[in-house]
Amino acid sequence: MKYNLELIKNKKKIIGFSTVLILLSLLGILYSTFNTSYKKPINLGMDFVGGNELRIERVCEEKCSNISPDSVLENLREISKNKNVLNNIKLQFQNNNKLISIRTPYLSIEESNNLIKNLDNIVGPLNYESKDSRLIGPKLGKRLLTNCVTSLLVSLFAISLYITIRFDKKYALFALLALFHDLVIVFGIFSWLGFILSVEVNSLFAVSLLTIAGYSVNDTVVIFDRIRENLKSKKEGYNETIQLSVNESFRRTTFTSITTLFPLLSIILFGSYSLFWFSLALSLGIIVGSYSSILLAPSLLLRD
Amino acid sequence: MKRRQGWLFFIIFLLTLSVYLLINYPLQLGLDLQGGSQLTLQIIKEEGKVSRDELEAVNSVIDKRVNNLGVSESNLQTLGGDQLILELPGEQNPLVASRVLGKTALLEFRTQKEGTSTDLKTLQLQRLTIKELIEQYSFAEKSQNDDNFLKFIQDDLEDIEQELNYSSTSNDLYGKLIEIKKYVDKEITNLFIKTDLSGKDLINAGRRQEQTNSNWEVLLTFSNSGGEKFAEITKSIAGTNQLLAIILDGESISEASVGNQFASSGITGGSATISGNFSAENARELEVQLKGGSLPLPIEIVETNTIGALLGSKNILKSFYAAISGLIFVGIFMIFNYRILGFVSVLSLVLYGFFNLALYSLIPVTLTLPGISGLILSIGMAVDANILIFERIREELYDGNTLTRSIDSGFQRANSSIVDGHITTLLSCFVLFLLGTNFVKGFAATLGIGVLISLFTSLNCSKTILRFFTTYQSLRQKNLYLPRNNLSN
Repeated sequence: MKYNLELIKNKKKIIGFSTVLILLSLLGILYSTFNTSYKKPINLGMDFVGGNELRIERVCEEKCSNISPDSVLENLREISKNKNVLNNIKLQFQNNNKLISIRTPYLSIEESNNLIKNLDNIVGPLNYESKDSRLIGPKLGKRLLTNCVTSLLVSLFAISLYITIRFDKKYALFALLALFHDLVIVFGIFSWLGFILSVEVNSLFAVSLLTIAGYSVNDTVVIFDRIRENLKSKKEGYNETIQLSVNESFRRTTFTSITTLFPLLSIILFGSYSLFWFSLALSLGIIVGSYSSILLAPSLLLRD
Repeated sequence: MKRRQGWLFFIIFLLTLSVYLLINYPLQLGLDLQGGSQLTLQIIKEEGKVSRDELEAVNSVIDKRVNNLGVSESNLQTLGGDQLILELPGEQNPLVASRVLGKTALLEFRTQKEGTSTDLKTLQLQRLTIKELIEQYSFAEKSQNDDNFLKFIQDDLEDIEQELNYSSTSNDLYGKLIEIKKYVDKEITNLFIKTDLSGKDLINAGRRQEQTNSNWEVLLTFSNSGGEKFAEITKSIAGTNQLLAIILDGESISEASVGNQFASSGITGGSATISGNFSAENARELEVQLKGGSLPLPIEIVETNTIGALLGSKNILKSFYAAISGLIFVGIFMIFNYRILGFVSVLSLVLYGFFNLALYSLIPVTLTLPGISGLILSIGMAVDANILIFERIREELYDGNTLTRSIDSGFQRANSSIVDGHITTLLSCFVLFLLGTNFVKGFAATLGIGVLISLFTSLNCSKTILRFFTTYQSLRQKNLYLPRNNLSN
């Protein structure tokens, strides 16, 4: 099986496609920064802003009765002390009314216990063994955010340094361009998800960005290696050699991406809910990363 | 050939060792897998950084308190220079721990300023009223009483505010009540002068039930010098109308007079009791705090995670399914595309799994959800190296080389690009491990370890297994390695 990607012919299309993707991402980031209630480039989750997240299952015989979240909130308001907290509460029923998931601003452990007690009175009995509760103070949230941003910058710097040392300037520049292309697009997709589906990002999202950075550069490195190798030995023209190299490494790049996507897909399908968006972000990153390694980065190398 | 056989035995030995390790040293599971609570304590320092000594001091006080609380199998560790992480496995309520740990527990003994008796009496009365109002408020909330009752509390509160000449800034009624209570407490404390006797002079603390009613009291035992100081202080105010206040974290928990009979030598014996309407629970908490000593710096509980045991075991099951199905997907894909080579990579992957888990129990790495996702993700990355090698082997086979030669040069030529390719991933893991939170560290550790082990399994193990296979004549046909129609190309 030989592959025949017409890189030279489609250079403009590829670069155009990437430009559109990047513009769309930037649009999402801008919209998110100026036109949403949270006024941030991306919808920050409670890891970064602090808060209280509670998931707990109800004990029901056969089917759980249908209760509207609004009526639960109304009941909660009547019996709770801290009105401030209840103004910002989000409550949802999932899993056929079995699972209750609640978000509130930061609560002390005591207040959180009271909330659960009150809930138990309204929609109980609750199964405390199924409880998943996280309380994060706003101070810690800020710290986590700085921490994540620093990690991202430091590792991007380290990766850039590695690439600049390993390649000559031109290759390094385009490899980095491809890397930022991947990161901006994944970030942009989550910006859009943020205001459309209120998907929030937590510290695992930062981890996924970092992992994407590490992984996507690999693919580009391998293809650029092949190009350099072939440029030394092959007699065809510059552009043709690049196209040939890409076709030669196409199979291995797509295969390695596919085998990395399989485990991620299994986490998405079978894994714990807390890893869902994390695995999705990683999968998107790997898909975009393969595209940029196979098509975008080599196209940038082509001469007119 | 001899050398390869040596490798084969070595790999079998490693596998046996791994299985032995896994049976005898079970994996440590994080709280998200076994259920339990995790509290993050932040040391608060207004200026400058928390020094190592201060961190140690806070750590030892917290450690004592945790031990005195009697929670089982708790685990306390420091994080990032100014944080502590306390893990309480199982269904232990983090509420009690948070109440006991969060307080500075700075105990002071103060004597009343002269001529402040009337002021103190007024304040004590106001404090009592506030306490009652708070109770009434809780009652009103619970019984869903009408607004008139709340209005009544509001009015009483405003009266007190006027008396105090202080107006609260909180938005809601409950916040106002708490604020005023704090203000009154501060005013009371201000009527007393510091002495040189403090919580540092204690050698022990205990509790007992009062004889006359169901309340509890807390017993203090002073050191020798502490006992002397206490005698000195009580002597100085005995028989006067000045009171002795015992102040905990700026709030007076007891004000008592010292009788005339102690005027000559003070209260001797080196002990004292605090009886301030303690419930059994409160008395126990104070006892634990006093036994552990006061914290050199205040701390704040900034994060609490609680996972139910049932959810934990569900998480284990889900992760197991995800890992196995990931392995199966990858296995099918590899065998479909690479035939025998694919089968070899599946065997290496199984080895990879065992070695990884064995190393976790050896180091030990505590397995958490992000950790498991790192492991599962690294399955996909581990097979990357095999793909690089197999692609090279295919190319060699297409070029008409013999099987043995193709395999040899396939492994050789792919070597450098494999090592190279993993460097950036390792870089990311390294940064994550250095800067990440506890949660993130688990992921970085398993992914990093995985990438390193995969270098061994996909280079060495798969080569050895492949060599072993090719010693059998029947397994040496090229069409077992490539789809037949491709060979004719």
